[in-house]
Amino acid sequence: MIEEVIMAKERLKIGIYGLTGCAGDQLTILNCEDELFDFFRATEICSFPMAKSDNLEENLDIAFIEGSVSTEEDLRLLKDIRERTKMVIAIGNCSCYGGPQSGLLLDKNWRKRIKQIYGDIKFDIPPPRNHKPINAYVNVNSLIPGCPIDKGEFLRAISRLINGDLPIPINYPVCVECKYNENECLLNKNIMCLGPVINAGCNSICVNHNLPCVGCRGPVIEAAITSEFELLLKKGLSSDDIRNRAMLFAGAPMAQMLKKLMETKK
Amino acid sequence: MRRLNVNHLTRVEGNGAITIEVDGKKVKRVRIEIIEGPRLFETLAIGKLPSENLNLVPRICGICTLSHRYASIRAIEKCLGIAVPKKTFLLRELMHHGEMIESHSLHIFLLTLPDLFGYPGAPALADKYEEYLKEGLELKKFGNRIMEVVSGRVIHGENPVIGGFGKFPTEKELLKLSSQARCLIPLISHTIDLLGDSKIPKYLDQETQYVCVNPPKKRYGFSGDSILISDGQVFDAEDYKKVTNERVVDHSYAKRALYNGKPYTTGAIARINNLGDRLNGMAAEYYHKYWNNRWKKNPIFNNTAQAIEILYCLEKIQELIDQIIALRNHKIIKPKKENGTGTGLVEAPRGILFHSYEIKNGRMEKSDIITPTGQNLDDIERYMRKAAEHLLEKNEKDNEILRQLEIIARAYDPCISCSSHLIRVVRK
Repeated sequence: MIEEVIMAKERLKIGIYGLTGCAGDQLTILNCEDELFDFFRATEICSFPMAKSDNLEENLDIAFIEGSVSTEEDLRLLKDIRERTKMVIAIGNCSCYGGPQSGLLLDKNWRKRIKQIYGDIKFDIPPPRNHKPINAYVNVNSLIPGCPIDKGEFLRAISRLINGDLPIPINYPVCVECKYNENECLLNKNIMCLGPVINAGCNSICVNHNLPCVGCRGPVIEAAITSEFELLLKKGLSSDDIRNRAMLFAGAPMAQMLKKLMETKK
Repeated sequence: MRRLNVNHLTRVEGNGAITIEVDGKKVKRVRIEIIEGPRLFETLAIGKLPSENLNLVPRICGICTLSHRYASIRAIEKCLGIAVPKKTFLLRELMHHGEMIESHSLHIFLLTLPDLFGYPGAPALADKYEEYLKEGLELKKFGNRIMEVVSGRVIHGENPVIGGFGKFPTEKELLKLSSQARCLIPLISHTIDLLGDSKIPKYLDQETQYVCVNPPKKRYGFSGDSILISDGQVFDAEDYKKVTNERVVDHSYAKRALYNGKPYTTGAIARINNLGDRLNGMAAEYYHKYWNNRWKKNPIFNNTAQAIEILYCLEKIQELIDQIIALRNHKIIKPKKENGTGTGLVEAPRGILFHSYEIKNGRMEKSDIITPTGQNLDDIERYMRKAAEHLLEKNEKDNEILRQLEIIARAYDPCISCSSHLIRVVRK
C-alpha cells in the first residue's frame, strides 16, 4: 500500500471528507494557518468540500475522513471513497471510534429511541443508522484520533506521508505525558480521571488545567480497563457512572471492552 | 417539471444539499436538505452529570464549540443557583469574542472571498491572492489563540467549567493578546471596505424579521438573558419557545422555527440590524459608513456585518483584558442546589443559541438545544426561492442558478453539524 503511494512521482492526490461529526477535525486542518499554503502546494487537494467547490471525485492516494457512519449516505460515500483510494486515514474520534454519538452503543433500543424522538414522520432523505466508526465497514490504513485531532500530529503525519512513510501511532496512555508534565495525579485526589486507559497525544492538556481526562482520544492499545474500572469502583463511583463516563467519547472499542467486562463479572 | 440539484453544498460546515423543483418558469419547491446524520445530543445527556453534559455539548460543533459551552454553562449555573465572580464572567466573554473572530474570518476569507473574486475555493485563491488570504489567516489565528489561552485548546477546550475555570490564564498571556488585537485593527478595516464597496444585487431584497440576544445595559454584545426581535418585542430567555415555535419537516434532521408564523433570520446581520446603533468606537464609524436600509432586506450583507463585528471584537477585547487583569483569581464556585431549570442564551457566530435544561438530583433530566442554523433554514429557503424565480425569468442557465443559490446559503454561514443534532427528547 504505502509503496504504491511512495512510488507516485507527482504530488499526492488528497481528499478530505466529513461524514457525520462536528467538522472540528477538518477545521483543525484549516487551523494550520502557518502551514496551510505549504500544504496546498505540496499536495494536490482533489476534494475538500468544506473548503472548495471544484472537487474532483477521482482516484486518490490518500483520503482523510472525519465523522462517523450515521446515515445510509455516509456509508455509500465511505465505500465509494475506499474503492478509489490507496490509503484511508480516519481523523478524529467520530471516525476512529464512533464519537460521542455512539455513546449509546450499549443501549439496545436505538431504533425505538429514534422513533420516540421523531415520532412517525417518514423522512424523504437517506435514513439514519446507529453511529459507528468507519472501520466497522471498510479497511482503514491509519488512525489519527482526538476530539479534535492535534494539529502537530496531523502535520507530522502529512509530512511523513509526503516523504513516503507511514504516520506513527501513539501507543501509550495519557498518564505518560501527564508524568512528563509533572502534574499531581488526580486519581490520588479522588477525581475520576480516565487518563490510564486513554491514548496519549494531547500532552495531557486537561490534567494540565487541573481537570480530569474525559477520554476524547479513545482507548489506548491494550487498555487496562479492568483495573481502571475496579479503581474507580473503589473511589466510590457506581458501575453505571463509570460506564457513562467511559462512553462519553470512547465509542465502539470501549463498548466492546465494557461488554466483555460486564460478561465476566456475571 | 424538472429538478435542479446541488448534491453537496460546498464551502459550508457539514453535509447539506439544495433541491429546487421547477415547472417552466415557476418554482414549485425549494428545499435545503440537511443530510448530516442526527447525533441525538439531547438524549446523550439524560441521566449524566451536568459536568459530563458540558464535556459533550461543545462537540455538537467544531466551529461554535465555545458558544455551546458558554450557553450550556449559563443554563447549568441557572439551574444550580451558581453566581460566578466578575473575573470568570469577563474571561468567558473574552473567549466568546475570540470564537467570533475565528469563525467570522474563516467564513469571510476562506469560504466567501472566493465567490467575490470568482474562484472555486481557497486553494485556488492561494495562488493569486496569497497576501489577502494571509491577512485573513492572521485574524483567524488570533481568534484561535484567544480560545487556546482561555479555554485550554483551540477546539473543544475543557478549561471553562461550571463555576469558573480549571486554570486561569496568566497576565502575561492576556496582555500579549491585547497588544495583538490592537495591531490587527488595520487588517480588518481594509476588509470591511472591500466587502462594503462590493455590489450586492437588488433582486433578493425582501423584508424579514431579525432575532438576536438582547445584551444588558443597552450594550452591543453576544450574551444576555432576554431576546430582542426586530419588531421591538423583548422576550425573557425562559420564554424562548414563544420565539422559536419549532417543528419537524421530512427533508431535514434539523427542526425548523417560525416567529409570528413567519421565517426569521439570526446571525451577524440580525445583531447589526437590531443593535448596530449601540456600537461605539471605530466599529460605530464603519457601521455608519456602510449600513443602510437594504441591510434589513438582503442576507448577503451578512458578510459585511461579520467584518464589522470582527472590528468590534478587536476593540472590545482590549477593554475586557484591562478589566480582567485587575481582578483576582478565585476557586471554582460550588452549586447551591441539586434541582432546577434554566435557559442559557448566547449569540453563536451564526446567531442566537438556546440551551435549556432541567436538572434533578444533580443529574440531567431534560435538555433542549436550539441552534441558529436550524432557525435560519426557513428564511434561507425563502430567499433562495426569490432568487430562483428571478433567475429563471432572466433565462439564466441551471448551473448559474445553482451557483447563486449556493452563494445565498453560504452568506448565512450555515453550520450544519449544529443544526442536525436537533431533536426533541420524548421521555418514556
